Amino acid sequence: MTGYALKVRGLRKQYPKVLAVDGVDMEVRCGEVFGLLGPNGAGKTTTLEIIEGLTEPDAGEIEILGFDLRTQGREIRSRIGVQLQSTSLFNKITPREALELYGGYYPKRRSAQELLERVQLIDKADAYHTTLSGGQQQRLALALALVNDPELVFLDEPTTGLDPQARRSLWDIVRSMKQEGRTVILTTHYMDEAEALCDRLAIMDHGRILTTGTPSELIAQMGLPSVVELFFEGAAPDAAAFTAQSGLAVDRRGDRWELAVTDPKTTLPSILDSAEACRVPFEQIHMRRATLEDVFLHRTGRSLRE
Amino acid sequence: MLLWRQFVMEWKLYLRDRGATFWTFAFPVILLLGFGFMFREGAGPMTTLVWVTEGGGHAEDAALTKALTHVKILKLDSVEAQHRWAKGETAAQLESSAQGHRLRVNSYLMAQGQTAAQMVQQANLVVQAQAKGLQPEVIPISVESPGGRRNAGYGAFLLPGLLGVNLLSIGLFGVGMVNVAYREKGKFRRLGVTPLPKWIFLLGQILQRLTVSLAQASFMVLVARLALNIRNQGSYPEFFLAILMGTAAFMAMGFALSTFTKTLEGYSALSNVVFLPLMILSGVYFTLDAAPLWIQKVLLALPLAPYVKALRGIFNDGAHLWNHAAGLALVMAWGLVCFFIAVKRFRWN
Repeated sequence: MTGYALKVRGLRKQYPKVLAVDGVDMEVRCGEVFGLLGPNGAGKTTTLEIIEGLTEPDAGEIEILGFDLRTQGREIRSRIGVQLQSTSLFNKITPREALELYGGYYPKRRSAQELLERVQLIDKADAYHTTLSGGQQQRLALALALVNDPELVFLDEPTTGLDPQARRSLWDIVRSMKQEGRTVILTTHYMDEAEALCDRLAIMDHGRILTTGTPSELIAQMGLPSVVELFFEGAAPDAAAFTAQSGLAVDRRGDRWELAVTDPKTTLPSILDSAEACRVPFEQIHMRRATLEDVFLHRTGRSLRE
Repeated sequence: MLLWRQFVMEWKLYLRDRGATFWTFAFPVILLLGFGFMFREGAGPMTTLVWVTEGGGHAEDAALTKALTHVKILKLDSVEAQHRWAKGETAAQLESSAQGHRLRVNSYLMAQGQTAAQMVQQANLVVQAQAKGLQPEVIPISVESPGGRRNAGYGAFLLPGLLGVNLLSIGLFGVGMVNVAYREKGKFRRLGVTPLPKWIFLLGQILQRLTVSLAQASFMVLVARLALNIRNQGSYPEFFLAILMGTAAFMAMGFALSTFTKTLEGYSALSNVVFLPLMILSGVYFTLDAAPLWIQKVLLALPLAPYVKALRGIFNDGAHLWNHAAGLALVMAWGLVCFFIAVKRFRWN
């Protein structure tokens, strides 16, 4: 299948106290892994819930796999797989039973055994849901999202709260979904996850999409591919004098200064000269390639984890 | 097919939930057996009357002893009697001397003490009449039920009441609380992203609860029959029809109540505000006859009291459903009102 798995236009959702989604447009191509990146409260989950049909939008048009969400909800629901942020199952149900029960809701289904093998839950296939670890519950949630052999899979913060090893094993499952030709839309507030998994990304904040592109496009768009960091012992000092001397903008962050630069090769000597001239008492200097975190910072003035 | 699968899964999950099965199956049976044995007819201790004789007692003591029935007499000397009285163990004490008789009734044990005192008064009147050469006749009493047939004993009185309370708890906790939890924990949301029509999920749940209440009622009736020899005096179809009607009405109550709160904590408080007064004041454990008339009227307008009354009529008196049409209609009206509230207010998330 070629073309678009998802088209969203003019999505808006007003809650009593916040405007959660403020005019979102989005297009996701078939077969790609698309990420919605943003801090908590950016509107990622609400956007996803509207697309999944769980929340009514105030305005907007949504087309999923060529079907209109408003009139063909049932066709859509039988073709998508969803992993919600907190998947809640009955306490005393086993993974095998859950997969069989949920599989029964769909016209097309995959065998429970195959899915259990796929997410490495064979050992726990007949244990009660409550006895599974966080990572195991999350893997079961992924298996449930795949139970109907979906064309499009939604994953809402699939690795939040998991240890590094469990995260890696989840990433592998997501990658294999892509290999099977499924379209995956996921939300995350981990930039490493977005970089590792996503073909394309949309950065969201305050209910809006700020920018869309591949991870490397987004970094390139910023025009500032490198970051020079000066570390201090204790809190970073005021940088007004340094900025006046060097003409470089400084972002003070805790114990360091961050300077986004286009050409570190020529800028680095002048940074050192100005630091010398202004007697900046830095301990270490460090240079690195810009990341999505910097893109976000650059766009919003705040960090992803704030 | 989908519905059947939901129904079977509900039963499976229900049977794995030991708490739920204990409270619906075991607990009412334990109450029934416990109270049934404790208060079965003729099982209770006869009221004890402490009798103290001073200086050879009264001339007519022998005749009085003969006339006193249904009371266990404990003869003590005044020191022992005073000791027993001081410990609060004596309900009624008769003191006889040459001058005459005196009765003391313990103000904390009025029920037994007053009865014993009445027995003594009656016996004393009989003795006095006999002394005058009269043969007094006591008016015979026969205990009957309005329906003509009667299940004897407190166990029989209790059984329909416990069934009623159980239906109320299936409705408020087995349906209302469960759905608040499902909504709060996002189970409904997970179902919402599948193509399963939600009414199938709810219908599966409702059918499972209906069968639970039928199974539970059958179990109680069987245990009552085997252990306490309590028999259904009415017809079984009418009895089980009444059980189904009650289950439906109280489930509707649970659904309605679940729409007034978002959290499980809120629901626990709300449901107990409804459950506890209804359970205590609906004539489940004791009759309401002693309460002021206006309170009885209020309670009979609430759903549980008329329901228990109707169930008791059928099971204990052999009445028909239509003999309790007004009460059952009231219960069903409650159910219908709750049903409409639930339909209007119910939210999946």
